[in-house]
Amino acid sequence: MAKTLEPKTKEMEFTSIGQRVPKLDAWDKVQGKTMYIHDVKLPRMLHGKILWSKYAHARIVSIDTSKAEQLPGVRAVITGYNTPEIRCGFIKDNPVLKKDKVRQYRDEVAAVAADTPEIAEEAIKLIDVVYEELPGVFDPEEAMQEGAPLIHEDKGSNVLKLPWKMICGDVEEGRKQADYIVEETYKLPFVTHCCLGTSGCIAQFDAKGNLTVYSPTQIRYLAQKDFQEALNALGLKGKKVKVIQTAIGGGFGSKLDTYPFEFITILLAYYTGRPVKLVYSREEEFFASPGRQPVRAKISQGCTKEGKLTFRDVEMILDNGAYTSWGATTPSVMMMPISSLYQVPNIRYVAKCVHTNNIYSTAMRGYGNPQATFAIESQLDTLAEKAGIDPWEFRMINRNKPGEITPQKFEVGSCGMKECLEAVKEKLQWDEKRGKGNGRGVGIASLIHVGGGARIYKSDGCGTILKLDDFGKVSLLTSASDMGQGSETVLAQIVAEELGLHVEDVDVIMKDTNLEIWDAGAHASRSTFVAGNSALYAARKAKEEILEFAATMLKEPKENLYLRDRMLYSRNNPEVSMTIDKLLRAAHFRTNGRQIVVSEFYDPPTQMLDREMKGNFSAAYTYGVHGVEVEVDKETGQIKILKMVIAMDVGRAINPMAVEGQLEGGGAMGLGYSLMEELHLEKGKVLNGNFLDYKIMTFPDMPPIESVIVETYDEKGPFGAKGIGEPPLVGSAPAIANAVWDALGVRIRELPITPEKIVAALEGKKGS
Amino acid sequence: MRRFTYYEPESLKEAIALLEKNGETARLLAGGTDLIVEIKQEKKSPDHLVSLRRIPGLQEMDFSDGELCIGAMVTHRMIEKAELIRDKYSLLADAVDNLGSVQVRNVATIGGNICNAAPSADTAAPLVALGARLVVEGPAGERQIPIDEFFKGPGKTDLGAGEILRCIRIPALPQGAGSCYIKHARRKAMDLPLLGIAVIIVPDANMVCREARIALSLAGPKPFRAEQAEAFVTGKPLSEEVWKQAGEIAVGESNPRSSFRTTAAYRRKMIGTLIPRAAAVSLQRVNRAWMKG
Ligand SMILES: Cc1cc2nc3c(=O)[nH]c(=O)nc-3n(C[C@H](O)[C@H](O)[C@H](O)COP(=O)(O)OP(=O)(O)OC[C@H]3O[C@@H](n4cnc5c(N)ncnc54)[C@H](O)[C@@H]3O)c2cc1C
Repeated sequence: MAKTLEPKTKEMEFTSIGQRVPKLDAWDKVQGKTMYIHDVKLPRMLHGKILWSKYAHARIVSIDTSKAEQLPGVRAVITGYNTPEIRCGFIKDNPVLKKDKVRQYRDEVAAVAADTPEIAEEAIKLIDVVYEELPGVFDPEEAMQEGAPLIHEDKGSNVLKLPWKMICGDVEEGRKQADYIVEETYKLPFVTHCCLGTSGCIAQFDAKGNLTVYSPTQIRYLAQKDFQEALNALGLKGKKVKVIQTAIGGGFGSKLDTYPFEFITILLAYYTGRPVKLVYSREEEFFASPGRQPVRAKISQGCTKEGKLTFRDVEMILDNGAYTSWGATTPSVMMMPISSLYQVPNIRYVAKCVHTNNIYSTAMRGYGNPQATFAIESQLDTLAEKAGIDPWEFRMINRNKPGEITPQKFEVGSCGMKECLEAVKEKLQWDEKRGKGNGRGVGIASLIHVGGGARIYKSDGCGTILKLDDFGKVSLLTSASDMGQGSETVLAQIVAEELGLHVEDVDVIMKDTNLEIWDAGAHASRSTFVAGNSALYAARKAKEEILEFAATMLKEPKENLYLRDRMLYSRNNPEVSMTIDKLLRAAHFRTNGRQIVVSEFYDPPTQMLDREMKGNFSAAYTYGVHGVEVEVDKETGQIKILKMVIAMDVGRAINPMAVEGQLEGGGAMGLGYSLMEELHLEKGKVLNGNFLDYKIMTFPDMPPIESVIVETYDEKGPFGAKGIGEPPLVGSAPAIANAVWDALGVRIRELPITPEKIVAALEGKKGS
Repeated sequence: MRRFTYYEPESLKEAIALLEKNGETARLLAGGTDLIVEIKQEKKSPDHLVSLRRIPGLQEMDFSDGELCIGAMVTHRMIEKAELIRDKYSLLADAVDNLGSVQVRNVATIGGNICNAAPSADTAAPLVALGARLVVEGPAGERQIPIDEFFKGPGKTDLGAGEILRCIRIPALPQGAGSCYIKHARRKAMDLPLLGIAVIIVPDANMVCREARIALSLAGPKPFRAEQAEAFVTGKPLSEEVWKQAGEIAVGESNPRSSFRTTAAYRRKMIGTLIPRAAAVSLQRVNRAWMKG
């Protein structure tokens, strides 16, 4: 299936790239040797605990901490009243300790540091808070109405002053050109990341007032900046902040922002003068770690008789919850499928984020893309049917093509959408299986995602330092973050390939803001592309130095020399050969010699979105197609996934095993989102904050997933690779909804697609 | 989490004495898969935990005179592996097959499942259908409680102060009986049922229903027999149509609730849908038993 990339010369035959290298961190992880934040202990360390709000919306009348303070073993009790104000979130509307008012159940009202977690917990219970309950609002549409309770009085409105809007072409014109139009509303629930490792951190001040934070963050450098601001609030301007990244027990976007608990831990460490650790319990993780934002989407699309899409018009309302984190910016990514998934000339997109007294949301794998793609791709099937065109043909007619420039001004380089569509069609046996009704059905959905970074900040860069030692080994200091996606392994492969070494010769170091350069964080599926290019260019510099030295030493023209299998060879002279470690020693141990150390900072050639929200904000785009076959029990509404095919154009699979890992993991997460995941909130309170009642897929629930890797070779990617972290979950839900339609003739427009909804829809169909 | 004292008595007598001495502040501990979770969640906070694991005899299964006796400390995994139960009491094997996970089944006990009296307990409906009798030992000696008198509502049982469940006695099923338990859940593992349906069928040679038992859990506050539906089926030919009607009658006898887990309406519909399915499987098992001779 994969388009193979022919090696150009003998030494271009890859030794590491394209190999199925098991993840380098896997051995330690499965043996319990990995140090997660939960495992880290520092001398004299205290334990922090937070007192959460008892109400979704209430005035704080008084907080009495005296009893807690008297409990032996308690070292500090802090509230918004006895600490300087620190606010977090990108619009700084979230005070880390609440004063005067609480706006959601997960509001931080007070915190304690104590000798043991048990004492901290006991102390929390001794804090007396008097509240005066306020009327709450829990539905974004109600929150927009005149007279609705204001969540933030100072903002004057519950609608966030962050209006999202994008216009391409002329939607009214597109409507006129359409022979068929479908208009519908889709609804998506609150879901959460369910990281195996719960959130937590340790904060520690040295004697001079410099701060070290140990944290499994996805954004070492942005977090460092946020914590620096906290130091300013504490009157510690000019003191230093260092973030040490501990092993990340899953991220999926949850650790892409800084949150009140981190600042609270810093405050507790500051006031006690001792290291303080604060780690969420599983229950806290469910309600106090922000998840994916719920969305209501009104969408219409139209096409001509020939099946060409003429317009797409989308309006969305996002429940922003009580405070603002990255959830409020997901419309910037929703624009991507809305403008650029298939060729659509006329587009209108508007979105509002509305405050409610619900819990707030942040980034989660796909960053808005799954919600938007669910609406777009579900509706495409309805539109295709209306136009009398097979849904697969319909997608082929409108598919994206290599080299096109989309209405949002994305410059599409490589694009394997056609190959993905063809692969899924074949694997699903589309023609034989489709349209049989009778409880069995097939469905597909395509997707687009950024695959070459995303210029969200003014810099989308990533730094690398390479140190080559006297034994032929390399220390690769990268500012990337590996939260399980396999960056460590892929970066080692890239460097090993370029330097003619083996993967095990490369030690990847990614942990300390003092050691590595800078990076925008592990988001936007960017690490393989951005950190990969950074590592590749650094390795090229090192190679250049090695070859230059070898050329002088061996008196061979540099152009003839190459590195492979830990050896230096000459193309023309079989007599010339030397082990790389020997060569490195020769370069070092001589007069004026040195170890080779190089650095590189790579920032992809991209643009920030302009005022109209247009511009080529990624250096490459990843395409993919999900296909599923389902069997639905018409009486119970239970869905059995018989088969799931995920075909992804990854440019080049640097490590096919790791790509399959992403496809299967994304598939599992996508199936959960499609079929069972939902945080149930009742008046702002999470009802099912545990793994019994918040259902994710278990191993016995997983269908076989067939991964198809399509390689289109992207000119800009490292060895042709594009990002693949988020895409594998994006198309799952619409593919399943489309298969359910094929099986039963009912359209489920609200996730998750539960048996209850199917039974109700079938009854509705019978009734009509 | 509250601290507690942990005891490992070596006889029932000793255990009963410990319970008597510490009254309300003591709790029995079997596999701990319910109790320890509740202690961690601070739903219960006993000062004394009395483990049953070292008391001899509680982990035994005995089949004699056609009666099956399952010790209170028998784990779900032991039941799952017992060929005799799978053959003769298929519905009980069905109930443990998808209970929790292998790890849970390795420690969780049938006694704990029953004494915890959760409406979602998977062995409850099968044991009610089987007409089990619970042998209980306490300060005043031994007594036997029919299972349908044992459950008093969610989390409540007929156990008195100091009483311990010793074993569960299951009377022999009539010759040629077939049975089935359907756990209707969202997931295949690590999930509690939304509804539990237990059916036992005893046909005569002409495939007319000689006896039928239908027990439901989560169809009301406690597990119960759908007696009207049972009466309706008895004496009728075992056809799909008859069972469909029986299902509808059972719906009328039920009073399920709505929660975020599912709706009462869906539960009602599933009672009507799944009773005929449980009956069909039971019938297949009758046939298989006959073919086996
Ligand atoms: C992850 C997980 C999954 C689960 N899945 C399921 C499932 O699918 N289906 C299901 O039904 N349950 C499930 N459970 C619940 C639990 O495992 C079962 O109810 C189990 O049978 C309880 O048995 P135990 O031995 O662990 O009881 P324990 O927790 O030790 O005891 C439970 C209660 O019964 C009392 N008790 C125990 N033995 C006796 C006795 N001999 N006499 C008097 N009182 C006694 C205890 O004092 C306590 O109050 C699950 C639990 C977990 C943690």
